[in-house]
Amino acid sequence: MAPTEDPALAGRLERWLAGQLGKRVRIADIARIAGGASRATYRFTLETGDEDAVPFPLILRLDPASSLIETERRREFAALQAFHGSSVPVPKPLWLEPDAEPIGSPFFIMQAIEHAEVSPQKLMAAPYAEHHAHIGHQKWTILGQIAAADPRALGLSDILSSGASDPVWRSELDHWEAVLDADELEPQPIQRAAIRWMRRHPPPPPSRLSVVHGDYRTGNFMVDTSGSIRAILDWEMVHLGDPLEDLAWSLNRVWCFQQDERRGGLLHRDQAIAHWEAAAGISADPVALHWWEVFASLKGQAIWLSAAREFQQQARPDSIMALAAWMMCNSQDRVTLELLGHLDPA
Amino acid sequence: MKPDPTVYLNELSRLLAAEVAPRLPTTWEQAIVTRQSLLLQAAAEEFDRAAQRRVEENADLRKLFTAALPIVTDAQLHARLKAASESVDPGLLVSQLDASNRRLRSLLVNLQAHIETLQTPLAIQFDTLIWQALSRSTVRRRLSLGRF
Repeated sequence: MAPTEDPALAGRLERWLAGQLGKRVRIADIARIAGGASRATYRFTLETGDEDAVPFPLILRLDPASSLIETERRREFAALQAFHGSSVPVPKPLWLEPDAEPIGSPFFIMQAIEHAEVSPQKLMAAPYAEHHAHIGHQKWTILGQIAAADPRALGLSDILSSGASDPVWRSELDHWEAVLDADELEPQPIQRAAIRWMRRHPPPPPSRLSVVHGDYRTGNFMVDTSGSIRAILDWEMVHLGDPLEDLAWSLNRVWCFQQDERRGGLLHRDQAIAHWEAAAGISADPVALHWWEVFASLKGQAIWLSAAREFQQQARPDSIMALAAWMMCNSQDRVTLELLGHLDPA
Repeated sequence: MKPDPTVYLNELSRLLAAEVAPRLPTTWEQAIVTRQSLLLQAAAEEFDRAAQRRVEENADLRKLFTAALPIVTDAQLHARLKAASESVDPGLLVSQLDASNRRLRSLLVNLQAHIETLQTPLAIQFDTLIWQALSRSTVRRRLSLGRF
């Protein structure tokens, strides 16, 4: 069994869990794992001391001092609770602690998904590569199921509602333009032109108001070696909105991990959309989807620029911030150019 | 300065990815070191071209502003474009070139927003030139670790 890598954290977590469970517990090992730029993620094993009890593998997600984007942990936890046990696979959420006092940071704990991979680089290679068609089918089918789900029936309407009376496209665009205003370290003429275009050509109203995952992409779900998607992760940007927002984000060219046309490194755009439509029960209007794809590119750019600022100003000198910015910013601008018909062949 | 910084950066990138990361005990530590390797590789690319791409882009924008002068109808914007088109980079330090670039790109945002309001054939044609300049800028800024 691996040694505990963070004994101070383990001790504080043991005391907190003992309080929750009403019994002494032991954390056999706790180690930080890779992935997730917005939160620190740890895997640990919980032993309860009960006779015949099997140690539980669990995941601890801590809020860092500064985030890649402002996240809302209550909403994320509520989304996991709502979808757990449904056709949308998610880890089982267990505890949410909003107070920083117990272990030094607000956190939540969820079930660990064993024997499954999340890294896009690893998913592009064997043994997952032979299952790409199947993984892609599941990926966009599950996204369609999220779009089809009734937020009210899930108990998510109130917690996910922003309370804004604006059309969803405008409140989303206003939000991400404000992020760009606050965080750009240099002028962004391509994204500013895109914003003006989006305001001149707003999309039609959504066919329904859906739960929007907010960051649905390859890299945010776990796949086992048989090619089955075991869990959708990273719901911290979940909100109510136009389901085309999620579809557009999933199609963003910066997620083309195979350096070709396959979205998310898995399927061509038309195939992905077809699977989504079949599961969502609605058609993706091409004009509206195009708008949301231009929006997705702006949102992506705002996130990468926020990362650049956090590293530049040493608010969060985590190298993943610098890597996100260097890897994504120029590519995201090129995506916007292509979507608006202005990318010259290089 | 020999050996070249690019040679050093590339060698350090290689060392971290090929010899240090695989020996680390946890995936978390391996990920941190692998990231450093990628960043060093990108830094090596940028080091060599840092001055050239900035000088080229600043010159491209100044040329664009000169071409815009007969089309622009806003007097204040016209004056700013004229001044910018006649400006020069104060030196070849990256920080100096970046400062010029920020001023020029900020003005470009204003210029394109203005051009979009004009809707004349000349303005529409000029807008195409702006987009071409923006497309060129993304080619200059491209890094091999970018996906698109």
